[in-house]
Order: sequence, then structure tokens, then C-alpha cells
Amino acid sequence: MISQIPINLIRFFLLLLAQILIFSNLNFSSFINPYIFPLFILLLPFETPRWLLMLLGFFSGLALDMLLGSTGMHAAAGLLIGYLRPFLISIITPKGTEFEISPNVYAQGLTWFAVYLGVATLVYLGFYFVVEAATFYNFFFLLLKTILSVIMSVAFMLIFLYLFSSRKKRRFE
Amino acid sequence: MYNLFRFFLRYHLFILFISLEFFCFYLTYRTKKYNQAAYNNFGLAMSGKVYQSYTGVTDYLYLRRRSDSLVNENAALRERLIESKFDNKVDSVQVSDSAGRYVQHFTYLTARVIYNSVDQASNLIYLNRGKLQGVSRQMGVFNANGIVGQVISVTDNYAAVMSVLSKDFKVSAKLKKSEYFGNMHWDGVNSTTATLEEIPKHVPVKPGDTIVTSGFSELFPRNIMIGTVKKVKTQADKNFLEITVNLSTDFGNLSYVYIVKNIRRNELQVLDSLSKKND
Repeated sequence: MISQIPINLIRFFLLLLAQILIFSNLNFSSFINPYIFPLFILLLPFETPRWLLMLLGFFSGLALDMLLGSTGMHAAAGLLIGYLRPFLISIITPKGTEFEISPNVYAQGLTWFAVYLGVATLVYLGFYFVVEAATFYNFFFLLLKTILSVIMSVAFMLIFLYLFSSRKKRRFE
Repeated sequence: MYNLFRFFLRYHLFILFISLEFFCFYLTYRTKKYNQAAYNNFGLAMSGKVYQSYTGVTDYLYLRRRSDSLVNENAALRERLIESKFDNKVDSVQVSDSAGRYVQHFTYLTARVIYNSVDQASNLIYLNRGKLQGVSRQMGVFNANGIVGQVISVTDNYAAVMSVLSKDFKVSAKLKKSEYFGNMHWDGVNSTTATLEEIPKHVPVKPGDTIVTSGFSELFPRNIMIGTVKKVKTQADKNFLEITVNLSTDFGNLSYVYIVKNIRRNELQVLDSLSKKND
């Protein structure tokens, strides 16, 4: 478990920099705000205790908030997916599956990952956009914005995963 | 007591979740009241450093375009110089400044945009000028093309600006031709348009008419460009027009901006508080 700390720390900084310098600077349109940063919480080891997931979600979100000037909103969303992650994994994983240490796109497969990232990002961004400006936008704009942003975010996340995941199929301690 | 203890033990994760979530909402709520708290100064100081060094690198990519726009602006300003005008009056009475008729009202600071966004519900712009350079909250920001926003928080060396493209931004604007004024705010979707309200129905407004700042707020001097009328909508049940404005500022491409320093601001604020007291 200890060996997982450096890799996750590196991933944290990599994702944070990529998010603020690239993805929050793309400015495609008001409909598409891609966020790949939730990947940090989603790729933490399976064994991570739930309280730690929540705290990491909270503090990583707070770090992003400080850089983007959106105090508290990413922290709230990160906390939420940290809290819901164990539920989500137990729902979408077939019984009796052997786990790696951390979620890995080569081990779990593309379908599992697409569903996992899709649902988690939908929760994250849906929650974020509602907190950000629920009364300002009308409902259909909010819905369209959420759906388009989720699709773009998941696409970028998968690219990130295929670029940076280790190819080793099985890796037990 | 034992039951209470058991309750906490059983639901400790959920309690942690709820209490942290409430803390987040507290932070968000505090931030939303832009005019009250100088928010998140630590974050601004940190991110200011990050974006400053990032801008230092990316600046080289846009040098040509930036210098072109600066040269154009210089040319436009030179046209306004007295030396560029032909004096066609034979015997004119010169308006001289020596009697103290004109007193400086606004001064301008230049600043470099180091972070900018256009796709959020409240877009922020960070500038590389702060308290030490004389920037304070509630100062207007504009560039050669038009208005940009309003300073909402400052640290020693950086300032955060609420862009025109923010759900909380409002500016007093007028039609240049007829001097009728109203409130302008962003509609949230398109980064090139905003909505101007409170112009009475009887005022003739055509697409293409120029919209400028009214000078009624302490943020901007008069007649700073905002944009042109794109579409005018009349509604039977309302007494006012709903005007869609094409913003003249290209928010996707901001580099250098001016910060408005209103020398008479304190006096205006005193007047404001006095008139409120008399209510």
C-alpha cells in the first residue's frame, strides 16, 4: 500500500497541472467544460479506506478550487464522488472478480472503465454545475452542458489512461 | 449515552461526509457575495504565481498578434492627439487648462492578463498587478476594444477580475446616440453577447447602434465602448425593450488591459452613504 503513495502523488500534480493549464484553458464553448481532474480520486487503490477517499476528494478539490477561483465547489463535488466511489465499484463489478491494486484500464477493460468514468463524471459534473449556477441557467442548457462535458471529459480521461497506464496485466504484491 | 455513541460509530462516515459538504457550501456561499469578503486571497496569490510563469512561456507564441494590436491602438490614440488635427478655425478662443477647469478624474494602470476563462458561469480573469501597484477592489477594467470587468479581490501582486461574462456582473450602459441608459448583464451562454435592459419602449433602437458606458457607476468613465446592438425585442406585457448586445471585447483573446482608478471614488462613496442615511 505504501508503494502507491508516490505514484498517486505524481498523478495528482500531473492532473492538476493538466487541468488548470490545458483543460480549463481550452474555452471550447459554454456547453463544453472538460474536467479530467476527478481521475485522481477514481484511480486511487481499491483498498483505500472510505474516510481517506473522502478527505482526499475534499482536499484535492480544494486545491483545484484555489487555482480556478471557484472556492468550495470542486471540493464539494470531489467529496461526493469520494463518498460514492465504493458503492459505484461494487455495483458495476461482477461478483468474484479478482482485483488489481488500483483500477487499471488494461486489467478492468475498456467497457468497465467507460461505465465507471461515465457515471462518476456525470455525478461530479452534474453536481458541480448545479452548485455553480443552478438558477442562472435554464434546465435544458444545464442538462446539455452536463452531458456534453461528461462525454468530452471521459474521452480525455481515457486518452490519459491509455497514455499513462502500465501495461502489466497482473501485478500482485 | 451508549446509544448516542453507537449512532456515531455506525454513521461516522456519513456524518463526516455531511459536515464536510456543509463546510464546502459555506465556502461557496461566502465567495458568492463578491462584494462583501475579499475572498480566497491565499488561492489568488498561489495561482497568480503559477499563471504568471505559464504566461511567461506562452507569451512568445502570440508576440506578433499582440504587437499588432498594440500598434493599432497606438495609431488610434495618435489620431486623437491635437497635433493630428487640422485647425480650421481662423479666430478661435482656446480653452486653456491654466484656470484649473480640467482636473484629473481617472487615471489608468496597465496590466497583463495571466489567466482568463470564458466558458464558466462566473468567469474570472487574473492580472499581474495588485495592492502594491495601487489596485484595489471595485475598479473597472477595460482594453482597447471595450470593457472587460471589475476587480473583485487583490493580493500584493495580483488581482482577480470578475469578467463581464459573469452571472453577477452588472454595468450601467447607455445608447451613444440617444443617451438613454439601462443595466447590462451577461446571459450566460454565448461569450460574445449580453443583454441590455431598462431602455423604455419608445426609444428608437436599431441593430448596429453603439452602446457605451454611462459613467454613472464609479467603475468606468463615460463613453467607454461596450458593443453594438444585435437584436431588439419588444414584449407586449413589458414597458422596456430587451436588447441583445454584441460585445466589442474579444474575451477569448485578452492580453493587456487598463485598470481604471477613480480619484473621486471616496467622495462619491461618502455621498452615497449620506443619501442613504437621509432615506
